[in-house]
Amino acid sequence: MDLAGGGLKALLMGRRFLVVAVLALGLGGLLAGWELSRVGVHQGYAPAQPIAFPHKVHAGDNKIPCLYCHYAARTSRHAGIPPASVCMNCHTLLEKQTVEIEKLKEAVQEQRPIKWIKVHNLPDFVYFNHSQHVLSGVACQRCHGAVEQMDRVQQMSPLTMGWCLECHREHAHIATADFQRVMQDMTHRPVPVAGLDCTSCHY
Amino acid sequence: MNRDGAAKISCKGPKESLVRIGEPPVYWKSAEELQNGARPLGEFPGGLPGNSPSQQTEDTRRDFLAMMGFTFAAAGLAGCRAPVQNAVPLLTGSDEIVPGVSNFYATTCGGCPSACSLLVKQRDGRPIKIEGNDRSSLFGGTCATGQATVLSLYDGERLHGPLWKGQPVQWPVIDGQVRDALRAADKDKRPIVLLSGTITSPSTLHIIGEWKKRYPSFRHVVYDAVSLSAMRAANAASFGRAAIPHYLFDKARMIVGLEADFLGTWLSPVEFARQYASSRKPEGNFSTHVQFESGFSVTGSNADIRVPVAPSEMGAVALALLRRIGRYAGVTDVPDSTESFADSKKLDAIAEALWRHRGESLIVSGVQDLSVQMAVNALNSWLGNIGKTVDLARPSYQRAGDDAAMAELVEQMNRGEIHTLLLHGVNPAYDYAEPERFTQGLEKVALSISFSDRRDETSSRAHAICPDHHFLESWGDAEPVDSHFSLAQPLIAPLFNTRATAENLLAWLGIESGHHTFLRSFWRENIFPRQNERPDFESFWDRSLQDGVVVVPQKTAAPPVNAFHGDWKTAAHAIVNEPGRADDRYQLHFYESVALRDGRHANNPWLQELPDPISKVTWGNYAAVSPKLARKLGLSEGDVVSLKTEKGQMQIPVFLQPGQHEKSISVALGYGRKQVGKAGQDVGANAFPLRRQSTVNVTLEKTGRTVKLASTQRHFYMEGRPIILESTLKQVRMESAAAESGEALPSLWPEYPQGEHSWGLGIDLTACIGCSACVIACQAENNIPVVGKDQVQRIRAMHWIRVDRYYTGPEDCPASVHQPMMCQHCGHAPCETVCPVHATTTSSEGINQQVYNRCIGTRYCANNCPYKVRRFNWYNYTENAKFDFNMNSPLGRMVLNPDVVVRSRGVMEKCNLCVQRIQLAKNLALQGKRTLADGDIKTACQQACPTQAIVFGDLKDAHSRVAQLHRSQRQYKVLEELGTRPNVAYLKKIRNTTET
Repeated sequence: MDLAGGGLKALLMGRRFLVVAVLALGLGGLLAGWELSRVGVHQGYAPAQPIAFPHKVHAGDNKIPCLYCHYAARTSRHAGIPPASVCMNCHTLLEKQTVEIEKLKEAVQEQRPIKWIKVHNLPDFVYFNHSQHVLSGVACQRCHGAVEQMDRVQQMSPLTMGWCLECHREHAHIATADFQRVMQDMTHRPVPVAGLDCTSCHY
Repeated sequence: MNRDGAAKISCKGPKESLVRIGEPPVYWKSAEELQNGARPLGEFPGGLPGNSPSQQTEDTRRDFLAMMGFTFAAAGLAGCRAPVQNAVPLLTGSDEIVPGVSNFYATTCGGCPSACSLLVKQRDGRPIKIEGNDRSSLFGGTCATGQATVLSLYDGERLHGPLWKGQPVQWPVIDGQVRDALRAADKDKRPIVLLSGTITSPSTLHIIGEWKKRYPSFRHVVYDAVSLSAMRAANAASFGRAAIPHYLFDKARMIVGLEADFLGTWLSPVEFARQYASSRKPEGNFSTHVQFESGFSVTGSNADIRVPVAPSEMGAVALALLRRIGRYAGVTDVPDSTESFADSKKLDAIAEALWRHRGESLIVSGVQDLSVQMAVNALNSWLGNIGKTVDLARPSYQRAGDDAAMAELVEQMNRGEIHTLLLHGVNPAYDYAEPERFTQGLEKVALSISFSDRRDETSSRAHAICPDHHFLESWGDAEPVDSHFSLAQPLIAPLFNTRATAENLLAWLGIESGHHTFLRSFWRENIFPRQNERPDFESFWDRSLQDGVVVVPQKTAAPPVNAFHGDWKTAAHAIVNEPGRADDRYQLHFYESVALRDGRHANNPWLQELPDPISKVTWGNYAAVSPKLARKLGLSEGDVVSLKTEKGQMQIPVFLQPGQHEKSISVALGYGRKQVGKAGQDVGANAFPLRRQSTVNVTLEKTGRTVKLASTQRHFYMEGRPIILESTLKQVRMESAAAESGEALPSLWPEYPQGEHSWGLGIDLTACIGCSACVIACQAENNIPVVGKDQVQRIRAMHWIRVDRYYTGPEDCPASVHQPMMCQHCGHAPCETVCPVHATTTSSEGINQQVYNRCIGTRYCANNCPYKVRRFNWYNYTENAKFDFNMNSPLGRMVLNPDVVVRSRGVMEKCNLCVQRIQLAKNLALQGKRTLADGDIKTACQQACPTQAIVFGDLKDAHSRVAQLHRSQRQYKVLEELGTRPNVAYLKKIRNTTET
């Protein structure tokens, strides 16, 4: 007993053990911290949709512009998933039939709206406006990644505040000097400015 | 500060801000404060905001730890995977509805018969916000009630379909029953009666005309709970036309009101407020306003001179003025009468000013007494006001109630003569002066059909309920003032299986084409030919629908208005000999409250929680007594008294109202509903049954019970510091260029980086009438929760904008000032420096921004805010059964603005200058490839304001209206001496005491 107890004690008091323990705890802490910082971040989220719509075929192979279907992105805060009637603009004419296209036509015939699954979700306390970004010349791919190469859409960006701010800081050119203001007036066009104020997104 | 309450111009500098404890303040908020003096912080009755005991005190530390552990575990698990969110697009796209884009449609308000023109914001197919329609030549802005009507659309108490004898049925069943009954009544020549409130819709009146043709025994009786029938009768006798004139307050230089709350509730307050403010510009024409009244009304609070008068003395006031004006006009035989209510020199001066402004003066009276109205008519005609400020040629159709016809109908009902009774927009079982008599009569009617949207006191006694649409669901039109038309269009498909009353009336006539088709054909035949701007009907219709308003030339065959030929002598003698004045008793004065009006909006929690503009009491009515009377009778606030009249008695708590006439007791109507819905049920007491045509004498007895009124009177108390500045017109005119130049105080704080804009507000205290439309507008725009009576008592009301009402002067007749108070958006904000987590900061555009997701709820900011404008979420007010108001039901939550987040428990919130509107305007400018112009952005409070007292804009744009206001000679910043550098400037209150 004594020997064993002494051995254990020696082991516990040993310098090597102390180093290992500190390292393990530190590593564990780091891992936990990393994990915690990823809570609520759904990068890579790629749910299966009720109709396996391939962006690759539409936006990639056939080069349909993003804004043809997501027309609301020009005027609204929501890019919007197109109404089935927009799909049918082409699919009434196209002869190609697949199981997935069949699902679309069925839904239209039965007057049953399609329940898509939202991929990019922001918390309620963030206000994001698509039109503001689209009209300022931000490419869709900047946030959504190369959707035209995706068979199933997945969330490419982390959509964290830090990630938003990286870009906003880059474009936060605020006309402060008189010269800049005059220039701005002369062009009669507002220079798109990325806001850095909290109320740019939170209200 | 000077103590006599007289106008004081410059109160700047730190010395002025000191208040001596215990001394009576110059500006005070309640009778108690005036008596006891300013109180230091610790003595504040009820404690400081936030120090009130919590609802749940029994929670222990162990519970807290347990809860915390659970929360951690739950957060960890829940955080791993977000719940799946669906996006369901339309099957077929719409040109008009783009998800996330708001559309505005013009329509007409159905909140009361004033029929204001509105613009309604529709988002994703549902109306969420009501705004004033600037294209209207009559109206602009809205009132608090109008703002709140959008919430009534989403009222869960509305019936989901028609009821026959209490059982849900389908429409054809009802149609069959009604047609059978009508046929039977027609065969026996028994009376069919439509009993309705005032109908301003010309197309509906046309349908009613068709009924008269189809059924000879049909008649239409108009009943208003608060009617102006005495005025109609007086006008018929005086001018040969039984109509309500269209008043033009903007053309009047001298206004005298006799118990007419024309800025609060009387006839058409939004219209009158706009006119009134436009004729009271310190920089231009400034009218003089004298108000004689018994209770303290919104109108009285704006008067330059307010004279408290007992209800029974209103006739004597009219007579005293008539005698004096008669002398000027060469009429000497006006009988003598008592003038004990006011000093005769004052009356001389008022009469002199009236005569000086003859043709430009206006006397209005809300007294339901033929003699008084006759005297007022004589006054207006002797002063040459008819056709100038009193327009009878283009009358108002906003009140058409006929008390005599109603009384006759009730008698007929009791005799069992009425066969079929249709009830539209009325609730006599609640608001008729003799409710039992009405309900007894109703039982003897063979078939009674109510068009009420819910089971109320009357409709629950009817055989059938055919629920009407909410006005936001229906087509319609209105003619509030002769030849001024306003169209109404549906903003949403009917939520329930309801049917428009006009549609019912058409269907039961056998016209199946539907209401919309009928409305269009009515306009094609009756309105379109009267205009010549548009050659074809389609373009006329589309244009009218888009604008919402049309003004056409008058009909050539309009009945003539005769010169005044009223028998004023008989009226004068009737006033002199009026019986029923008992000196040992008090007189009851009934009034409509600004929020609830006649009680039809009682189930609207926004309106229940709206502080009364004068008393600041929420959730209930009270008997307003003068502080002097209260001292005499040993009453204090909240003591429940029993008011006994010949007709009955009611129990109601007492409220000490400075400025209340000593002999009078004011009680608001519209409370004490028995069947309306969970928000309004049994809130307050019903005063309607005590009403009578003549003076109501009352005795007052203590019951020994005491209740706590939910008054926000002393909430957010500003310790008597000089936050109100006022002046007189004379002084302002004299001062002119001698305006003081306020130099900026030195500051230790660094300057913030400045962006392109600097947003700010300018608020004109002279224009603000205290109507509180801004409060409800802000509530609707910013998803502000209703917290309920208990929480209001704990100083936890959530309104971001409040209208502070200060009294100044003697207690028995104080003057008052209304001051809208919201976040002042300080350049150097005291709240920011104490926030440990930077949840509140100044934006580059000068907005003091509150970041909810960063806030941890220390409430340090609220403690450090000198303006007391920050509000804390003590609970989750959404989806919480303890706060069972609109935000606790999916239907009620449909009113929420999707552009503003709903705040959760534990975070601070406050005014953010409607930053969502700023962002939207910037976005629209970007879409339109233009820069922002002044006026592009209107905050919700500014848009709602009928007097344009609030102006928002960019202070960096020197030409903007707000920048001009900030440079005005009258401008001052509240508590500027603290160095907070607010972006909100106030313009001093100006009173016109020059004339008298």
